[in-house]
Amino acid sequence: MRAPKPAAERTDFGRGARLAVTALALRQIRRGALIVTAVAAGMSAVAVAAHRSTVKDPADAAALEALAGNPAIRTLFGEPVALDDAGGFAVWRTGTALAVVLGVWALLAATRITRGEEDAGRWDVLLAGRVPVTTMVARHIVVLVSVSLLAGAGAFAGLVAAGATAGGAAVHSAGLALCGVFFAAAGAMTAQVFATRSSASGAAVAVLGVSMLLKMVGDGVAALGWLRWLSPFGLTALARPYDGNRLWPLVILVVVCLALSAGAAAAAGRRDIRGGYLRYPSGRGPRMRLLGSVQAFAVRRLVRPLAAWSAGVGAYYLLIGVLAVSMTDFLADNPRFADLAAQAGFAGLGTVQGYAATLFALLAVPAGAFVAVRLATLAADESGGRLTLLFAQPLTRARLLIGEIAAALGGVILITTVAGLATWTGTKAVGADLDLPDALSGAWNVLPIALLCLGAGVLALGWAPRAVTTLGSLPAAGGFLLKVIADTSGWPVWVGQLSPFAHLAAVPDVPVNWPAAFLMTLVATLAAAAGVVGYRRRDLRT
Amino acid sequence: MVSPAFRTESLTKRYGRVLALDGLDLSVPAGEVFGFLGPNGAGKSTTIRLLLGLARPTAGRASIFGTDAADVAVTHRRLAYVPADVALWPQLTGAEILELLARTGPGTDRSYRDDLVERFDLDLSKPGRTYSTGNRQKVALVAAFATRAPLLVLDEPTSGLDPLMELEFRRAVREARDNGQSVFLSSHQLAEVEAVCDKVAILRAGRLVDVAAVTDLRRLHRTEVTVCFTGTPPDLAHVPGVQAVEMTGATSLRFTLTGPPGPALQELAAADVVSLAVRESSLEEIFLGYYGGTQR
Ligand SMILES: Nc1ncnc2c1ncn2[C@@H]1O[C@H](COP(=O)(O)OP(=O)(O)O)[C@@H](O)[C@H]1O
Ligand SMILES: [Mg+2]
Repeated sequence: MRAPKPAAERTDFGRGARLAVTALALRQIRRGALIVTAVAAGMSAVAVAAHRSTVKDPADAAALEALAGNPAIRTLFGEPVALDDAGGFAVWRTGTALAVVLGVWALLAATRITRGEEDAGRWDVLLAGRVPVTTMVARHIVVLVSVSLLAGAGAFAGLVAAGATAGGAAVHSAGLALCGVFFAAAGAMTAQVFATRSSASGAAVAVLGVSMLLKMVGDGVAALGWLRWLSPFGLTALARPYDGNRLWPLVILVVVCLALSAGAAAAAGRRDIRGGYLRYPSGRGPRMRLLGSVQAFAVRRLVRPLAAWSAGVGAYYLLIGVLAVSMTDFLADNPRFADLAAQAGFAGLGTVQGYAATLFALLAVPAGAFVAVRLATLAADESGGRLTLLFAQPLTRARLLIGEIAAALGGVILITTVAGLATWTGTKAVGADLDLPDALSGAWNVLPIALLCLGAGVLALGWAPRAVTTLGSLPAAGGFLLKVIADTSGWPVWVGQLSPFAHLAAVPDVPVNWPAAFLMTLVATLAAAAGVVGYRRRDLRT
Repeated sequence: MVSPAFRTESLTKRYGRVLALDGLDLSVPAGEVFGFLGPNGAGKSTTIRLLLGLARPTAGRASIFGTDAADVAVTHRRLAYVPADVALWPQLTGAEILELLARTGPGTDRSYRDDLVERFDLDLSKPGRTYSTGNRQKVALVAAFATRAPLLVLDEPTSGLDPLMELEFRRAVREARDNGQSVFLSSHQLAEVEAVCDKVAILRAGRLVDVAAVTDLRRLHRTEVTVCFTGTPPDLAHVPGVQAVEMTGATSLRFTLTGPPGPALQELAAADVVSLAVRESSLEEIFLGYYGGTQR
């Protein structure tokens, strides 16, 4: 029997519930939202300022002209358009990086607050109330879309405040925001297809990787330029901010974003709660490998993510290797641009060794992120109660944690090795002059920074377990940003020196900076030891 | 005197302003099935987490078979634990989880484990994510009982089990006792504790209020009786066992009853009762009536 209620009361109650859902979604992402918005605004402004110090006289125009014609440059950094304009230069320097940062954040946030919450069972109570699951998903998407728009507005404000013209800034910021929207919607969609947060995130990251690859190939190979129409990054580039400001590509992207968002919300309504479209087999035979000890079990949990990270990093560095000759020849022929690149933080690109060294430095970011994510997963397993049964076994917390640290360390060594091997394979394929030991030492050279991430992550796990991801990725991601910004914005030297990247030698172009590597390892070890002490003393969060 | 399975001395745990456990002194003899009874939020899980070394006491200490609870590498060799909310690794099947727990644990009687899997009707080929609350609890129970550890610490282990499985659980507890193991069973259900325990400690708002033999618990039982009648209102005030009589209307009243119902029924018979509803009071209500005072 249904008790009739006054219509007004019903709708009011429903509105209250929907507002509560919106507030809930917002609360879960507000910190990240502020960070991406600040990064978008800050990097854009800094890049505009950098233009003045980099491009000084008309002679540069010729060098820039040549730049636009080089396939390697176009592949790695995007097609340079309107480099004579401060805004155009900023878009070229930061546009792709910001779009990737915003896209990655948006998709991870989307899968975390939708599938992650649902999988953890926290949606059961909410969905038993008055809010249908389509509304839940739609509201979460709306919040993520708003944040993407906010980040776009941040980039616009940064560009304009630093003196770039508004028209191009508007087109660029709109494209940037739409990239965020696209990947938020993509994350929300994979969260409907897959029943676990990790698979949903993995699938959405794969979409991002393929989108990036389509853009890179489309940028680099003229005959395949049409591929860019298939990628949100490509569509953003096709809008050509500061060089025509074409709106068509953005209109297409808006339509795609709308369709994807609506599709994700609609898809949510046609599946079981806690289920996805892809069903997992309801039963299977036991696989008893790597269950014999907590150390072995740490390895078992590592295998899949490690394979995914290695594949992504390997593919990127294979491409780096393949582009080596084209890039170094170009820079050898255009010394003026080599100067420009050096001022923008990419020194030594004229030789294969220097080129490899410069790009290996970037490897520290994914390597550091990998260990941070491993420790964050451990923290999530603790607060999710999955570790409780293991903590009730006759083994100390320190042993469990050290097993996990060892697995993460082994994983990051493997990832850097894969990067070195992939680069070497690529250079061999195009006949560039890079020895295997050089390639490997260049890749391993970033390990101290990954160790710093590991140390910071363990420290956070011991004393502030909620902040593991943030603190753990700080030395790599934060250090990288700090170095780039300090280099281009004329901050005091010591500020830039705070970044571990300032102490990273350009291996294999020059020898390893052993004192710095040793010091970083020492700091990392001390931080990790302090973290282990905290981890042993504190209450477990279950 | 037998040495205790575990002992706590002024064990205290504070979470910010909440005093979750307030100076608990408790000694649980080896070889007994010991109940730990208290309403939700009484501090049962907190006590157990302190015993297991999962949380650190604010004050006081706990020892298990004479070893400090913080020394988990030693104490956990002699105990097995079933948490209140069992979370399993979503990608591992039941069989894999049992294997992991057996090989990292204090030792497992594998044939007894297979027997328990059969009795608890557990499908071990399913991945952890697909198990219901009850099935997750069964996996943890099977793993715990199969260790045959000297001390089993079970935190509300039957909250997700159906009645049939609850009977299996009680059987397994009896087997453990016959085997000389100690069982520490936390619960918020009087009936469950009565069914399996020898002795019970009663916790309320972080304080130990009583330690009693289970046979003494009968006095705790209380039923709430609601009657409608057409005749003259019955005078129940002086009937033994009747308390808190309350007229809820001109022809209806409510009272609580402890002990045998005979005298009350006799009194009611004279009042032309047209309907009678009987309800077992919840633990919270019982405690309110029995020990008085305020909830936290
Ligand atoms: N980690 C924690 N942080 C803050 N308060 C807690 C925590 N764990 C338990 N409490 C509080 O301590 C009290 C006792 O909780 P608990 O031991 O779980 O009770 P029980 O298991 O008897 O239901 C409750 O008031 C609870 O809110
Ligand atoms: Mg509890």
